Amino acid sequence: MISSANSIPNEACLEPDVCVVGGGPAGIALTLALSERGFSVLLLESGFLKADDKTQSLYAGEVANKQLHSPPDKYRQRRLGGSSAIWGGRCMPFDPIDFEARSHVPHSGWPLSYEDLLPYYPKANALAEAGRFSYNAEDALGPQVAPLIRGFDSSRVRTSGLERFSCPTHFGNRYAKRLQLAPGVDVLLGANCTGIRLQPDGRAVRLIEVATLSGKRFSVKPRATVLAAGGLETARLLLASRDVAPAGIGNHHDVVGRYYMCHIAGNVGMLSIHGAPDSVRHGYELAPEGVYCRRRLSVTHSEQRRLGLANAVGRLHFPRITDPAHRSGVLSGLFLARKLISYEYSKRLNDGTPPTLGTYARHALNVVTDPIDTTAFLTHWLARRTFASRKFPSVILRNRTNRFSLEMHGEQVPQARSRVTLSDKVDAMGMPQLRVDWHYCQADIESVARSLDVFAQEFDRSGTASLEYNRSTLEEDLMRFGAYGGHHIGTARMGRDERSSVVNADCQVHSVHNLFIAGSAVFPTSSQANPTLTLIALSLRLGDTLSRRLRPGHALQLEEVTA
Amino acid sequence: MKVFVLGATGYIGRRLMDMLRATPWIEPTGASRGHTLTPTEADTLRVDARDPVALAGALRGSDAVINCVAGSAAAISEGSLSLVQACQAAPCARIVHLSTMSVYGPAQGLVDEETPLDPSLGWYGRAKCEAEGHLSRFVHSGGEAVILRPGCVFGPGSELWVGRTGRWLRSARLGDLGVAGDGWSNLVHVDDVCRALIAALRLPVAPQHTPVFNLAAPDSPRWNEYFTDLAVAIGATPVPRLSRRKLQLDAWMTGPPLKLAQLLLMRLGMNPKAVPDPMPPGLLRLWEQHIQLDASAATKTLGVAWTPYPDGVQSSANWFLQKYRRAGTVMEKPLWTH
Repeated sequence: MISSANSIPNEACLEPDVCVVGGGPAGIALTLALSERGFSVLLLESGFLKADDKTQSLYAGEVANKQLHSPPDKYRQRRLGGSSAIWGGRCMPFDPIDFEARSHVPHSGWPLSYEDLLPYYPKANALAEAGRFSYNAEDALGPQVAPLIRGFDSSRVRTSGLERFSCPTHFGNRYAKRLQLAPGVDVLLGANCTGIRLQPDGRAVRLIEVATLSGKRFSVKPRATVLAAGGLETARLLLASRDVAPAGIGNHHDVVGRYYMCHIAGNVGMLSIHGAPDSVRHGYELAPEGVYCRRRLSVTHSEQRRLGLANAVGRLHFPRITDPAHRSGVLSGLFLARKLISYEYSKRLNDGTPPTLGTYARHALNVVTDPIDTTAFLTHWLARRTFASRKFPSVILRNRTNRFSLEMHGEQVPQARSRVTLSDKVDAMGMPQLRVDWHYCQADIESVARSLDVFAQEFDRSGTASLEYNRSTLEEDLMRFGAYGGHHIGTARMGRDERSSVVNADCQVHSVHNLFIAGSAVFPTSSQANPTLTLIALSLRLGDTLSRRLRPGHALQLEEVTA
Repeated sequence: MKVFVLGATGYIGRRLMDMLRATPWIEPTGASRGHTLTPTEADTLRVDARDPVALAGALRGSDAVINCVAGSAAAISEGSLSLVQACQAAPCARIVHLSTMSVYGPAQGLVDEETPLDPSLGWYGRAKCEAEGHLSRFVHSGGEAVILRPGCVFGPGSELWVGRTGRWLRSARLGDLGVAGDGWSNLVHVDDVCRALIAALRLPVAPQHTPVFNLAAPDSPRWNEYFTDLAVAIGATPVPRLSRRKLQLDAWMTGPPLKLAQLLLMRLGMNPKAVPDPMPPGLLRLWEQHIQLDASAATKTLGVAWTPYPDGVQSSANWFLQKYRRAGTVMEKPLWTH
C-alpha cells in the first residue's frame, strides 16, 4: 500500500525484510521484484505522487564549476518515480566491452560480465515500456529494413545498432497501482532517510532514521537495506552517516563520491552523405510493438580494443540550434521558444553566449521564411508528442540536404578527482548538502576525436559520405554545455577490491553485510549507453541476490573481501 | 460414465464435446437450445435448459451433467435453478458447473477460491453468483457439485478474446494501454478448461462439500502483453499506445451508436457484424483490474497441465489469420515479452 510517512507514530520502529530508500526506477523495480518473491518491503520515498517544491529543495547544493555541471537540484526529481518523471526515455543496454578491464580505460572493469546481467535486461525493457529486448535493426525492425546509409558497409563501424525509447514512462504514475496492491509492500511518501546507523563494529546496519518535513521521526530496522536514491544522493547518504565510520559508510579508502561520471556529449562536425536523401534513415522508426527506435554509429568493439578507444556512439543530427545559419524555421522556432521549455530540455538551447538582437532577428526570419516546414513540424509535434501517449522522442528535421552534424555520446574515463563531497551547508532536514566537482580529461576528448577519425576513414573508403570536423574546436563543441545532464554515475563504484570500490558484485557495501546499493552509483564505468535500462536490470539482479540471501533460515553473510 | 452437457454448441461446449467423444470412459450427450447442429453433433439434443421437466427427461440415466450454458442473465441464473430441479427429479448425482472469475467482482490482488463472492459488478457476475447459490442448495439436498471459475477462455475459435480482440487490434482501437491495460489477463486455454471439466467428473467429493477451482494459466500475462503479442502475431502492427481517455471515448461515445446499429441490423435480419464491434465499458474496467486468479488448486487437485501461453497465442493467431484472411506482416519471432 501507499501511505504518508506522517501516518507512522513518532519514534515508531518498523521491521520489514528489506528497506528500500528511494522510489525511482531502481527502487520500484527492486520493490516489485522482492514482493513477487514473498518478502516484506518498506519503500521510503522522500517525495509524493506529484512534485513538491519543499521536497525538491532538499536536493539543493553547489557545483565547483557551473559551466561544467548543472546545479544538483536539476535533472533530478524527488518524488515517486524519481527522475523518470522528466527523463527522455532513451534505452539501450551496456555493451559487453563495457564490463571488461581495458588497459586504455584506467579503473575500468566490472566484477560481473555482460552475460551476468543479460537475463535481467528483457524484464527491464518491459518495465521501461521499451518493447522487446532487441537492439539490432534487422532483428527489431525486420530483415527487409533499409540501412542507416545505403551503400555504407564497414567492418570497423557498426550502423545496425539501435536505441529504443520508453514512452517515456513515469515509473511513479505507471507503477503506483502495482505498488499499492503488491503483497508485503509499504510505500511511505514524504519519508526522508536522514541517517544510516551501523552496529558499533560497523559491519551491519542497525537502523535507518527517517524524518518528514513536518517533523515526524521514526526508524526502520530491516534485515537488509538498499539505497536506491540516485547517483548523487546515495553518495550523500553514505558520506553523511558518520557516527560509526567517521569518513562515512563504505568510505575507509576514500572512494565514496569519487570517480563521478556523466557522459561526454555534443554536436560535432559535418557529415555530407552522397546520393539522394531517401538513402538515409536518420530519424525514428517504429518497431512492430509500436516503440520508437533510432540507429546509431559506433566503432566496433574489436576496433575499440585495437585503437584504445573509449566506448561512444554518434547519431545523425541537425546543426547547432543556437546558430541561425542553419536557416531552419523549426530550429529557430525552438530557439525563440526556449524560455517556455524546462531547464533540462532547454539547456542545449542556451550555449552561454548571450544572443544579440541580430541573432533574434535572423532566427525570426528563419521562421517566417520556412513556414511549410515549421507548420508541418508543429502539427506533427502536437499529434505525435503533445497529445500522444507514446511520445515522439525528439526533434527530427526533414532531410533535404543529406548534411548532418554528429551527435556524439561517449563514456568518460573514471577519475578519482571527479567527485561529490559534502558541503558546509545543510538542508531543511539538517542533512549536509552536496558539492559537485565534475571533471573530464583530455583522454575523453581525444577518444571522441579518434572515433570520429574512424568514422571519417570508413565513410571515405566506402565513397558514400564524407565527415569533417574541427579538431581544434572539438573540446569546445563537446563541453559547450558541460556534463551531459541527468546521468549520475560511479559514486559508489562496484569492484572486487575495497581499496578502489565501494560495493561488490552483489551491490553490497564491502564492509557492511546488510547494506546494498541499487542504481547507477555502482557503475564503475559509464558506457556509451544512457544508464536507466542498465540500472533497472541491475536492480532486478539485486532482487534475485537478496531473495537468495534473505530466504528463511539463511543468515546474511558478509562476503569475503579481496584485500 | 454417461455425461450430459448443457450448452454443447457454445464455444467451450463444442470443444468439450469433441474431447468427451475422444475419451474412452465417457459417453456424452449434448444439449443446446437452438443452434444449428453439424452432422457430427448427432449426439446433441435440442433442450431448453430453462424447462426443468423437459430437462429432467433428457437427463434421465446420466451420471453427471456439465453446465456450460452462456447467454442472458436469465439463461444463466434460471437455467441453473432449472438444472438443479431437473437433477433432483431425474435423478442425476453430479453437476459440474462452469462459473466465472466475475463472481469475485472488483476484487484485486491474488484471489483464491476462499475469496468472498461479490455480485456488485454487473448482471453477468450477479447471474453467475445466483447460479452458484442454486448449486449450493443442490449440495445441501444431497447432490454433488464441482464449480470451476475460469478467467478469460481463449484459444482457436474464441470470438471474444481472439476474434473481436483481433479486429480491434487491426483497426487500432486496441493496443498497448499502459496503466489502463495493466490488469492480469487470467487467460486460460479452452482445452485446459475442458480438461479441468473432465477431471472434475471423477473428482471425489465429500458430502455437503462443493469443491471450487479457479482456472487461469499461471503464465498468463497482463493484458498489455497479450494485446501486443496477439497484434504482432496477426500482423496488426505497429501496435498503438492508447490512453485511457481514448478508450473511454470509444466505449462511451462510439459504443452506443454502434450497438444500436447492430441491433437495427439484427432487427432487419441482416448480419450485425457488418458494423464495427462496440467496446463494452465493462471491459475497460476489466483490463485495469489487478485481479490474479490463484489456480494452484486446479493444478494440484485436478492435475491440469496448462497450455503454455506462447502456444495459446500462436494457435489463436493462426485461427484468426485463417478466419480473417488479410495480408499482414507477421513477425517470424512472436513477442513473448512477459
